[in-house]
Amino acid sequence: MDFFIQLFSDPVAFWQSHTLLVSQIGINSILASSMFVVLYSGQLSLAAPGFMAIGAYTSVLMDLNLHTPLAVDFAAGTALAGVVGALVGLPVLRLRGVFLAIATIGFIEALSLGVILNLPITGEGLGLRNIDADPVGGVYIVLISLAVAVFLLWRLTKGRLGYAWTAIRQDELAARSQGIDVARYKLIAFVISALLAGYAGAAESHLYFILDPNEYGVPRTVQVLTFAVLGGSGNVLGPVVGALFLTTFPFVFKQAGDYIGVVSGAVLIAIIIFRPQGIVGRGGFAVVRPRWWPHPQLRAPSTG
Amino acid sequence: MHAVDGVTLEVEKGSIQGLIGPNGAGKTTLVNVITGYVPFQAGKAWLEDDQLTGLPAHRIAGLGVARTFQNIRLFKDLSAVENVIVGMHSRRRDDTLAQLGTLPFFRRDQRARFNEAHRLMETAGLDPGEVGKRAAGTLPYGDQRRLEIARALALQPRLLILDEPAAGMNPSEKQGIRELIERLNKDGLTILLIDHDMQLVMGVCDRVAVLNFGRKIADGTPEQVSTNAAVIKAYLGTGSERQASSAPGATGVEAVAAEEAQAKAGSKPAAEPANSILDVHELSVSYGSVNAVRAASLRVAAGEVVALIGANGAGKTTILSALSGLIRPASGTAVFDGLDLTTAKASAIVRHGLVHVPEGREILGRQTVLENLELATWARRDRAAAATQIAAVMRRFPILGERRRMRAGTLSGGEAQMLAIARGLLGKPRLLLLDEPSLGLAPQMVDEVFAAIKEIHDDGTTILLVEQNALRALAIADRAYVLETGRILLTGSGDDLLHNPAVRRAYLGG
Amino acid sequence: MGQQILNAIFIGSIYALFAVGYTLVFGVLDILNLAHSAVFTLGAAVTYTLVVNHGQSFWLACVVGILVAALMGLVIEYVCLRPLRRRRAPPIAALISTIGLALIIIAAIEQGRPGTLFAWLWVDGANPVTMPPGTFPNPTWHVAGLTLEGSKLAVIPISVVLMLVLGYVMRFTQVGRALRAVAENPRAARLMGIDVDRMIALTLIISSALGGLAGILFGVALGDISPYIGRDSVEVRGLAVIVLGGMGSIPGAVLGGYLLGLIEVLAVVLLGSNVRAGVAFAALFLMLVLRPQGFFGAQLREKV
Repeated sequence: MDFFIQLFSDPVAFWQSHTLLVSQIGINSILASSMFVVLYSGQLSLAAPGFMAIGAYTSVLMDLNLHTPLAVDFAAGTALAGVVGALVGLPVLRLRGVFLAIATIGFIEALSLGVILNLPITGEGLGLRNIDADPVGGVYIVLISLAVAVFLLWRLTKGRLGYAWTAIRQDELAARSQGIDVARYKLIAFVISALLAGYAGAAESHLYFILDPNEYGVPRTVQVLTFAVLGGSGNVLGPVVGALFLTTFPFVFKQAGDYIGVVSGAVLIAIIIFRPQGIVGRGGFAVVRPRWWPHPQLRAPSTG
Repeated sequence: MHAVDGVTLEVEKGSIQGLIGPNGAGKTTLVNVITGYVPFQAGKAWLEDDQLTGLPAHRIAGLGVARTFQNIRLFKDLSAVENVIVGMHSRRRDDTLAQLGTLPFFRRDQRARFNEAHRLMETAGLDPGEVGKRAAGTLPYGDQRRLEIARALALQPRLLILDEPAAGMNPSEKQGIRELIERLNKDGLTILLIDHDMQLVMGVCDRVAVLNFGRKIADGTPEQVSTNAAVIKAYLGTGSERQASSAPGATGVEAVAAEEAQAKAGSKPAAEPANSILDVHELSVSYGSVNAVRAASLRVAAGEVVALIGANGAGKTTILSALSGLIRPASGTAVFDGLDLTTAKASAIVRHGLVHVPEGREILGRQTVLENLELATWARRDRAAAATQIAAVMRRFPILGERRRMRAGTLSGGEAQMLAIARGLLGKPRLLLLDEPSLGLAPQMVDEVFAAIKEIHDDGTTILLVEQNALRALAIADRAYVLETGRILLTGSGDDLLHNPAVRRAYLGG
Repeated sequence: MGQQILNAIFIGSIYALFAVGYTLVFGVLDILNLAHSAVFTLGAAVTYTLVVNHGQSFWLACVVGILVAALMGLVIEYVCLRPLRRRRAPPIAALISTIGLALIIIAAIEQGRPGTLFAWLWVDGANPVTMPPGTFPNPTWHVAGLTLEGSKLAVIPISVVLMLVLGYVMRFTQVGRALRAVAENPRAARLMGIDVDRMIALTLIISSALGGLAGILFGVALGDISPYIGRDSVEVRGLAVIVLGGMGSIPGAVLGGYLLGLIEVLAVVLLGSNVRAGVAFAALFLMLVLRPQGFFGAQLREKV
């Protein structure tokens, strides 16, 4: 409760003592938005931490070894994440539902365990030390980029691209009958998601002094998925709200502190059963029911 | 086995072409191949000068081939207007960059799109003001069908393929669809129409092609096709009596039945039995917004064979599913020998003695015939007797005995039906619900199936039979009910209904 | 080399046992039960606690461990799965709710310290522990240059026998047929008088019991018990196994388990131990791209 008291009574001091938290909320929100894009297009991709890692390591390594300006580092990290996103996204396009999820898990684990933990340049198991990290200064960049990202995504969802994504999410087959090149739009979503995750990774890597290779595995992807599901993936603001809520939760409920895991799990189950569309829903309280699943569904028998 | 075997079809520009055939004939498969959902294995297709062979579905749609789906595939959670706007996808400029920038420009564009969508909805007979903003999944059934057509029109197609657009509609709704089709055609749209309703197809099409078991067996004007002996045989099966084709333009049973009922005032209808083991009263069942069954009432007495006939989409299977516990009715009662079927669990209903052999047979293809039979005795307490019964069943249906170690999925249609019936029998039913047992079967298999049904009846099992093949069903039934768009319209003895001209015209005439 | 082969067979048995539970649930329900690895961990934890903190006999502790795991299967069904089935929720919802339960279970173990809420379950917090020597018989032999540990060896026949028993039950008993019927076509199963809900509960019980047992064997034979053994050892590998073998196929899971054990060992021998884990996921990814149904799975097709 003291958290809220300080927030409202002395915002300036609050801001100064919680800058890192705000930055982390911003990063998590960008990640959640990356999740939003793939979920909005009907793809259950869990690859975000992998692209984060690419963005993070590329930008830090460039900074430490080439001494390029930060903007260039970020751009390079993001771009590389996007390229890898295209390479990974292409073969997995025809995978549906849980198969895609598993394939992307395979990707991030292979990247984590096969590459990051094994290359001397990435510091192997010990990670990298980023002496140029700036825990406090980064907050404005993060918040501005978050606002820009959310705005751009919002506009996209309202346009032709967004309609195509929604159609694909609802019913790929019917979408094709309307002339929508499903493969192309899914790939676009996948790459955008990779770019966002790469950017978030790059930004995050400059908030902390140590780059920990264990940060980019399955637990991270579960966390990001939870942001999106909790907040609701039908609306561009949903995952952001989810990220905000879950990142601040442990700070607010310090008493819960130790039991945060148990409480989070319980909250997750409760939400998915009683309000599956998430906190924000679709802004219209409709439940989003994608037809991702590969197994033929039992539908109501034909009326006859 | 070929789903579609060497079919050649020419659709004249500006015409309405009908495509009919019994269930399983390959009509939808043919459409799926043309529209790019199923790959061509042999043969080609052109739309005017454009080759369609080998193109993916979205490219074919882009070339101007629009379709609706048998099972309605709307984007359920999108509003009606949004559904139509999605349909405009291939005609829209890619406005991604514009989106990211200037809002005012976008607004103007968006308004134009909404107006266009409204116009298309009106063309399809919908009121955009009333339904535009509602989620497509919440619309009434008829409106959903129309919306799917509106969405298809958004493609500005050269060819519109309608797959059973009037399924499940009552006569006045069907009339509306018919007028819509005629209007669209008059505006120059070429239409390929698949449907089971003969009156609709014969009344609206310029030409009709008939498929059966994947092959085209007839192609000509409606008059030619409806008097074609091969066509009549394919649809009606071999009954001892046959009726000539229906006159194009005949209306539904309702109007005629009223007339005939007055004319028949003298003859005695078969009375419903006083003590029945199955008592259904005012049963209503809906799927979402579709009222599949409306206040239906029927009774079945022990030892009877009762038939439930009616056109596709009339609600027959829905009633059976409600009785066996697969779906819950919205209202009404159904009691089977003291058990309330509307609340009991499906497994409890089976244990009580009501066994439902479903449409499409639903045998377990991955297990062997013997395993299917053994599993069928699950609900029984008397295991020892079950073993002897399995042997008995294999004697009655020798083909099952022969194939007992084979996977059920390898059985032919007729054999699978035998297995399904045998399975039903092994549950030791007191009331057996048979759903379309002759569906998709070749005529001589149909004979065998009906012979088996007769035997089962002679052994004392009560049967409630749902059949599209009205001739055969009425011939063996003690009593029958006629269902149309969810309502029970007529009831009488099998014989009476067999000779009822209204029934004959609507359901037996082709 | 011989030692490595032995290790491969041993770890392959664990993978296979674990994966069988995974694939059983997928086959019957079309759902990935992500709480499975938590049950694995729980089995080991409970057994350990009973022996070390409550002074019970080893054999009793094992039995109780398995029972607790089986019970957890029921919890999964009643808390996570059945409410969603009743509400006709899309399959992703089940994924999320099982994640939620996994979070709860693992967090409870993690928080187990003397004097806390979960002390009865676990008192070592996040620390890995080992069964004290002497708790269970573990004779060691040295034969032909190989070291044979009794506990590790015992895992192999136990696993094999269990899988054979399960295979027998699935193929030759009425219950097995009923389960296969539910897996193939729940509607047809209902019409034959099979209580589908009960069969599902049974599936979860069997699956979780196997998972818990796998955890016990792992923890005991490898001497590694902590809240993280599920996550680190089998969670993602289990996915690789069932994908390789074909989701829903029990023989596939068995084959896949041993295959993965072998692949990992070969990777260590040929490429060095660092790449080991990465190889599994590369294999996973490739399999999904080339043959998503695995070796034994059925073709996936959506009806138009």
